[in-house]
Amino acid sequence: MAEKVLTQHFGLKNVYQIDEYIKQGGYEAVKKALKLKPEEILEEMKKANLRGRGGAGFPAGVKWGFVPKVDKPKYLCVNADEGEPGTFKDRYIMSHNPHMLLEGIIITSYCVGIHSAYIYIRGEYEAVALRLEEAISEAYDKGYLGKNILNSGFDLDVSVHRGAGAYICGEETALLESLEGKRGNPRLKPPFPASVGLFQCPTVINNVETLSNIPQIILNGADWFTGKGLPKDGGTRIFGVSGMVEKPGIYELPIGTNLKDIINKHAGGMKQGKKLKAVIPGGMSAPVLKADEIDIPMDFDSLVNAESMLGSAAIIVIDTGTSMLDVLKAVTKFYSHESCGLCTPCRIGTSWINKIVKRMAEGKGSKKDIDDIVRLASNILGKTLCPLGDAAAMPILSIAKKFRKELESRL
Amino acid sequence: MKIIIDGKRIELDDKKTILEAARENGISIPSLCDHQRLSPFAGCRLCIVQIKGRKGYPPSCSTYAEDGMEVKTKTPSLQRLRREILELILSEHPNACLICTEKENCDEFKSTIRKVGETTGCVLCPNNGHCELQDVVDALKVDKVRFPSVYRELEIKKEDPFFDRNYNLCILCGRCVRVCHEVRGASTLSFTYRGSQAVVGTVLDRPHLESGCQFCGACVDVCPTGALSERALKYESLADDTAATICPLCSMGCKLEVESKDGRILSSRPAPEGGVNRGQVCVKGRFMIKNLVHSPRRILKPMIRKDKELEEVTWDEALDFVACRLKKYKGKEVALVASSQVTCEDNFILQKFSRAALRTENIASPVSVSPLSTYRELVQEQGLKAGLNFRIEDISKANVLFLSGADLPVSHPIVWLEVLKAVKAGAKLVVASPQELSLNRYASVWLRNKPGTEVALFSYLSKAFLESEEDGGHSRVEGFGSFKKSLDKLDFSQVAQTTGVPKEKFMQTAELLLEGETSAFLFGAGLTQNPWGAQNLAALHNLALLKSGRLYPLGLENNLRGAFEMNNGHSDKGLSIDQVFRAVHSGSIKALYLAGPLPDLQKAKIEFLVIQGSFMNDNMEKADAVLPAATFAETDGTFVNVEGRIQKFQKVIGLSGEAQPDWWITSRLAKKMGHEGFGYKNQAAVMKEISRDIPGFSKISNTKLDNDDEVFVHEEVKGKEKFIPFKPVLAPEETGQKYPLLMSVDYNLDYYRNLALTQESKGLRMIRDSRWIKISPEDAKRLKLNDGDTVVVDSVSGKTQGRVRISGALPKGVVGANFLWNEDSDFSLVPLSFSSSFKNHILNIIPVKIKRGK
Repeated sequence: MAEKVLTQHFGLKNVYQIDEYIKQGGYEAVKKALKLKPEEILEEMKKANLRGRGGAGFPAGVKWGFVPKVDKPKYLCVNADEGEPGTFKDRYIMSHNPHMLLEGIIITSYCVGIHSAYIYIRGEYEAVALRLEEAISEAYDKGYLGKNILNSGFDLDVSVHRGAGAYICGEETALLESLEGKRGNPRLKPPFPASVGLFQCPTVINNVETLSNIPQIILNGADWFTGKGLPKDGGTRIFGVSGMVEKPGIYELPIGTNLKDIINKHAGGMKQGKKLKAVIPGGMSAPVLKADEIDIPMDFDSLVNAESMLGSAAIIVIDTGTSMLDVLKAVTKFYSHESCGLCTPCRIGTSWINKIVKRMAEGKGSKKDIDDIVRLASNILGKTLCPLGDAAAMPILSIAKKFRKELESRL
Repeated sequence: MKIIIDGKRIELDDKKTILEAARENGISIPSLCDHQRLSPFAGCRLCIVQIKGRKGYPPSCSTYAEDGMEVKTKTPSLQRLRREILELILSEHPNACLICTEKENCDEFKSTIRKVGETTGCVLCPNNGHCELQDVVDALKVDKVRFPSVYRELEIKKEDPFFDRNYNLCILCGRCVRVCHEVRGASTLSFTYRGSQAVVGTVLDRPHLESGCQFCGACVDVCPTGALSERALKYESLADDTAATICPLCSMGCKLEVESKDGRILSSRPAPEGGVNRGQVCVKGRFMIKNLVHSPRRILKPMIRKDKELEEVTWDEALDFVACRLKKYKGKEVALVASSQVTCEDNFILQKFSRAALRTENIASPVSVSPLSTYRELVQEQGLKAGLNFRIEDISKANVLFLSGADLPVSHPIVWLEVLKAVKAGAKLVVASPQELSLNRYASVWLRNKPGTEVALFSYLSKAFLESEEDGGHSRVEGFGSFKKSLDKLDFSQVAQTTGVPKEKFMQTAELLLEGETSAFLFGAGLTQNPWGAQNLAALHNLALLKSGRLYPLGLENNLRGAFEMNNGHSDKGLSIDQVFRAVHSGSIKALYLAGPLPDLQKAKIEFLVIQGSFMNDNMEKADAVLPAATFAETDGTFVNVEGRIQKFQKVIGLSGEAQPDWWITSRLAKKMGHEGFGYKNQAAVMKEISRDIPGFSKISNTKLDNDDEVFVHEEVKGKEKFIPFKPVLAPEETGQKYPLLMSVDYNLDYYRNLALTQESKGLRMIRDSRWIKISPEDAKRLKLNDGDTVVVDSVSGKTQGRVRISGALPKGVVGANFLWNEDSDFSLVPLSFSSSFKNHILNIIPVKIKRGK
């Protein structure tokens, strides 16, 4: 089995506590980083080309580089609003190894010149939020947070902010609005958060998994990192496998590991007696792959070529006993409920799709209904204010395209 | 920057969205959420376009034009997409009429009364004809909706005054939410719920009355559908005439668009463009105009007293009667009270009439008790360099704003919008006010001083400023030495006890003043119209001078400045309005010509009273003759707003009953009294004479006023800079055992001529608590008083009674009330403020005792 980076401490007793974490070599990365110049860290990060683990895959180093050098406070927002259905990787990182995330936060903040960081965590993760808060308070006690960290002259405060249960708040600008105490509606872009973000100030927003990679990059260097995974898409990913497999769970594997291997080798193959029908490879908003399309490396570019996406690397395995109409129903119900309601195609479009699919599931559908949902979803795709519209349209369109026959048979 | 839209080459000078650029060049792009005064929203998605070299369909309202861009706005795929988006919108909006094949033939039904519980089609919608959704459906030629019509079954909200909210008609364009937050700063509205359940609402779905709404109606005006609709219009048919005028209800001088049918006003809205208000207005301009013009209290026929009763007579008889009786008086026996709410022309004739026909200099008006007069007096006495003219828009350019004596959102709504604009752009606002104001949430510092301690407050601020700054080079300025000396005597260890404000706040304010490059010092009647007003203003002037900041005098009535100019050079010759009030009660004035406001004349000892006014009130019981005057809506004329901007307006409806314009009445009367030079044919003839005789109006012709919005009163700004010596007066008399509470009598502008607006509008009564004695929760508890209890207020100068309202805005130990020119006899503040012995003030701060009872 390949070397683990993010999950290396999983299974060790009490590693979520700072003393145990330090015993395991924790906070060495912070010590090293604080002796470097911020520009050196940025250079290393750009070289490592760490692509964002939240879904969009934007390189973290480049993102940091966009932060303008202005005389304003800058902020770091950690996107821990893990709402994408099928995704549960960040929850594991935060509950098993919160200090690894904190190290990432400290190094990022030091590099960009940030003195306040917020962890925006989904409201349902109450226990995880409490664990994070404990970890933060331990870090303050040991001098890794607060004023003059390790006598470096660098100050940083970190606080945890719990969401109130809206999928849209995982969208970075809606997250900012919510963090400011407002309704979580997405903002227009441009301006991008790097220049005008939280409280109108420059803001870096990174995913939990992204930030958790940073300590090891600092300790081992960019070359070590790019040596894992693929040349332009380095490192490992935590694949969260759910559905009809023998061993659902998280698997940290190099980027580019074949999807077939993940399902068959690592996750123990299909559950006994079940046959594979389809796989959603990157969280629910990723277009579905049919059983014969899963011989594919799990990296950003390969999945784009296959007209799907790596997204949050949450793999949902669907067997032949599951009706695609039921999958479609679950998908449309979710998105029509989670649309913020701001723009027309998403607000009313997802609502009609949901109503039509519900009718189809009740056996009252017609062939025209499938055409209608395709038309409605096409009018959402690429035509809404934020990516939630796309996230809603993509799975619907792919299911309607790849499983049209099955859907028609249910009419 | 050059861009190409639909093949048309367009040059752009500054940053614009594609939508703006297209519209300015005659290319129409449908849109429902965009609004020129609001930030881009990109929610409706109808304004999508295609840009060469870019993927997808960006919305033109939020995409800025870039050099070399090639934009297409009407490709078949765009039009198809728009129609399908519009279909989605229509699926949640009654659409039967919109897509009806017979809609062209439906005109005959459109003008029916539209009062229905549930709107199912355009002919039943209160906004039929004012609906942007209708326009977009026509433009995109949508004639079918492939979805069944969904009625959202939301409750129609009717609990608030003035407008109904029917969110079943809402298309979630968010304009109301944005205008309330971005432009008005009230932030009453927000989106609530999400997805298909999303709906506009208030915090916890409380009524607007409880959500900080100012009822300015801006949300109603920007609503593209009938979701927000003026309640009073629901019962009306469509207008047959629309005309522009200037609002007479405060000093902003907002441009209004008045709709009428058969000579009756249906509604008044802000003119969408131009004017000082640029599409905004307040509750009075939006919802009061119709009520006041068509008030049942209107006087529509001349009346004279015969056998102890007022009887309707002809104009001839009335004027003969008045002329004959008035001839008996002259000089000090007679006085005329003019109004600062009637036109310049009316005021000019009133002045001329007084001198020629009444042979008196006793021409009083609220002008003499306004910030304008207090300021001008100070300027003239000291030979200072200070003008009265300014531009409201300049206020938004200041980096630091200091406000005292005015509750801007209520008293000066358009000035408030500019202050808000400045604050949103990063300016700092400092508010000096004993009472908590709604605008305080935008303030960086709130100096909650004890009432009446403004002189001390400003002096300590000056001291703090001088201590914080390095060297301002003030010693070159005249009077600095003695000013500095008087400040040196102040001791910061006493400051909290004296003013009620802790030292830190002074230092904080000084810091802000130092940091801000340009500063604006705004002051209103609350600062200048109490007995210590002149000293207050001198202290504020010195503070502003330290900072080289500009003072903005904020008068209240709509034509205060015009009346002030017409009075040019005569202000000190006769009695002031408060002196007239005392003189009619002492009997030294025998005849009074009342063309303006004066409260409660029931006990006046006069022989002859003429009322020239538009509305009946208690004073009529004392009147010997009543001459019905037209309202602003029925006359042509000019008003001068708070900026000194001269604005000409024309009548929007014909004369009501036999009422006539004031200039007509007074000049006819002068003729009847045998005086030459009053043979004016029309208002324009009066204006011609004004431009000849009044220095501020020299070289201002009717034609110039017709064609130019930018005509200001002519004034010469000359003089010097100087620190004014002032008496360090502190506070009014201290409260003591006998009178333990301090009553602050403030101003109230909710009147038009002799009508209290609250009388005409239940809605206004619901949102303004001006007819109450306001008391802090702590004092109410101590005195065991509940909301609505009747109490007696006793003071050294007199007593009154009224009803109590408990208000958290008041500090402990202070009670508040609002002086109104049209005092009801059952709640009069006259004994507490107006009748005391100081000259030129109408407000007061006075120790009182309050006890339950009558």
